[in-house]
Amino acid sequence: MSNLHSLSHYWPELILTATILIGIIADLFYKPKDSGKTMYWIFGGLALTAFAVKLLSDSPAAILFMGTLAHDPFAWFFKMLIVLGTVIVLLMSGKSSELKNQSVGEYYVLIGIMVFGMFLMVSSIDMIMVYLAIEIVSLMSFILAGYLKNDKSSNEASLKYVIYGGFSSGIMLYGFSILFGLTGTTKLYEIGPALATLDGTANFAIMISAIFILAGFGYKISAVPFHFWTPDVYEGSPTPVTAYLSVAPKAAGFALLIRFFSAVFGTGENVAAGIIPVSSALPWPQILAILAVMTMTLGNLVAIQQESVKRMLAYSSIAHAGYMLMGLPMLSADGISAVMVYLVMYLFMNLGAFFIVMVVQAKMGGDSFSDFSGLGWEMPLLGVAMTLFMFSLTGIPPTAGFIGKYYLFAAVIQAGPSFYWLAFAGAVNSVISLYYYIRVIRQMYLEGERSETIQVPAFMTSLIILVLAIPTLVFGVYWAPIADWVSSSMVFAIPSM
Amino acid sequence: MADAAFWLMALLTVASAVVVVHHDKLLYSAIALLFTFFGVAGLYIFLWADFLAAVQVVIYVGGILVLVIFGIMLTNKITTVNISHTSMQRGAGGLLVAFVLGSLGLMITKTPWLVQHAAEPDQTVATIGRLLMMDYLLPFEVASLLLLGALIGAATLSRREE
Repeated sequence: MSNLHSLSHYWPELILTATILIGIIADLFYKPKDSGKTMYWIFGGLALTAFAVKLLSDSPAAILFMGTLAHDPFAWFFKMLIVLGTVIVLLMSGKSSELKNQSVGEYYVLIGIMVFGMFLMVSSIDMIMVYLAIEIVSLMSFILAGYLKNDKSSNEASLKYVIYGGFSSGIMLYGFSILFGLTGTTKLYEIGPALATLDGTANFAIMISAIFILAGFGYKISAVPFHFWTPDVYEGSPTPVTAYLSVAPKAAGFALLIRFFSAVFGTGENVAAGIIPVSSALPWPQILAILAVMTMTLGNLVAIQQESVKRMLAYSSIAHAGYMLMGLPMLSADGISAVMVYLVMYLFMNLGAFFIVMVVQAKMGGDSFSDFSGLGWEMPLLGVAMTLFMFSLTGIPPTAGFIGKYYLFAAVIQAGPSFYWLAFAGAVNSVISLYYYIRVIRQMYLEGERSETIQVPAFMTSLIILVLAIPTLVFGVYWAPIADWVSSSMVFAIPSM
Repeated sequence: MADAAFWLMALLTVASAVVVVHHDKLLYSAIALLFTFFGVAGLYIFLWADFLAAVQVVIYVGGILVLVIFGIMLTNKITTVNISHTSMQRGAGGLLVAFVLGSLGLMITKTPWLVQHAAEPDQTVATIGRLLMMDYLLPFEVASLLLLGALIGAATLSRREE
C-alpha cells in the first residue's frame, strides 16, 4: 500500500504519537511535584490507541508503507497485549515509592515512546524498520532503567544495559548486512525466496547471519547466552520498570522473533496453515530447542541461590523465556499459539509478583526474602495474592500459569517423539522452580512473627492486586476467551510478490 | 591502483579503530576516532556513495567528533583519569576472537555474494531523496521519534534533581 493510503490503517500509532507530544507539552505546565499527572494523559492516549486497534481489527490484513509494516491479526494481538501491560505498569508506577521523589513527567513520556517502538517491533517486515524499532525500545529502556539518578545500582543498571545493548545491536546489524549481501533486499518476505534460490555454498553465511541475528533478538527476550545484562538491570531498575521490561519488550521480542524467522528462514508461507517450511540449510529445531533448554535451566538454577526476591524474579523471568522458547522448535502453528497463550498468562502473574515486591519494598525498605517474613499474616491480601502468583509461575493448577504451560507442553508432545526430551527438560525445570517459588510462600507464612493485627493496603494498591490476581485465577479455570483470541490472531499478512 | 587505495583506506580505518580502543588517554582515542571516520568516508566513496561520504565527514568529523573533544576538554579532570584496560581471560578471549575471525574470513571468501555490476551513477542525492520520501518514508519519520526520545532521555539524565 502506498504511504498516503497506509495512513488510514495507521490510526493507533498516530494517536500514540499525538499522545507522546501532548504528554511532553502537558508536563511543562505541571509543577515538579505534580509531574505525576502526566500519567493521565498517557493513560488516556493508550486507551484511545487500544480502541483504535480494536476498531481496525475489522479491516482485512494488509501491507503498509511500501512493504515496511504488516497490518495483521498477529500484530493486533501483540499490540493489545502491550497496551494492557503498559496500562498496568502505569498504575503501578503511580504507586511506586521509588519514583515518588523524582519528577516523573518524562518517565511517562518515555514509556509512551517505548510503546510506539514495540508497536513497530511486532509489525515490521523490513530490516531497517526492525532495527529502528529495536533501537527505540532499547534506548528508552536504558533511560528508564537509570531513572533513579541518586541510586548507584540504578546507574549501574543503565550503564550495563547500554553496553550490552549497543554490542548486541551491532552484532545483529552485522547479521542483517550478511543477509543483504546475499539477497540485495531489506524486505523480509523477499529475502526468504531469494535465499531459497542460493546453492549450498551460501549455507555457511546464512548460518552465521542467523546466529548473529539471534543474538540481537535473544538479548531482547533475555535468552541464554545473551542474558548477562538481565539480573543486574532488573535488580537496579525501579521496580515498575523491571516489571515492564520483563513483560512488554519480551512479548514484542517474541513477536519479532516469530515473524522474522518464519519470513526469512521459512519459505514465507502462512504460518497459520500449519508447519512452517524451513530452509534446510540449518538445523533450526535443534538450535532453538537447545537454546530453550539452556535458558530455562540456567534461569532456574541461578534463581535458587538468590537472596533478593527481585533478583530471583529476574532469573525466573529468564527461565520463563526458556519455557516460551520451547514452543518454537516445532515450527508449528500450535507451538506459536502456545507461546502467545503463555505470554498472556505470564503478563498477569509476572506483573503481579513484581507489584507485590514493590509494595513490600515500600513498606520494609528492602526486597530480600527476610522482608517477606510474616507478611501473609500481617497483610492477608498481599499474602494470598503472592501465593497465587507463585503457584501460577510454577504452573500449578488451577492457575493461569498451568494453562500456559499445558499449551506449551501439549504443542511439544504433539510434535512427536523427537521432542519428548524437550518436554522432559521443561518438566524437570518446573519442578526445580517450585523450590524457590515455594520459598517465598514459606517465608510469608511460616517465618517471622505471626501478627495479630491485620493491615489493609491502600485502595489503589488493593485494586491493582485484584486486577492482576483475578485473571491469574480465572484464566486457570476458564481460558476459552484467551484461546479463541489467540487462534483468531494466527493470521499473517504476506505481501504478494 | 584502486585496489591499493582501497586496502590503504581499510587499513587506516581498522588500525585507527584499534588505537581508539587501546589508547590509555581519552583524548588520543578521540583523535584516533577522527581517522576511523575518515576511513569510513573513504570506503563510502569506493561504493560510489559520494553524498554519504560527504555527510559522514560533515556530521561525524565536523559535528560529533568536535563535540566529543569539547566534552573531554570541558570535563574536569577527565584528561588525567587513568583509564585502565584491564582485560581478563586473555587466552580464552584470544581463542574466541581467532575462531570468530576465522569463521568470518571463511564466510567472506567462500560465499557467493550477490554482485551487482552497476554503472557509476550520475547523481546519488536524487536517488537517496526518492528512497527516503517513498520506500523508506516511515523509517525516516520514525527516526525522528527515536531522536526525540533520546533527547528527552539525555535531558532527564543530566538534569540536576532538586
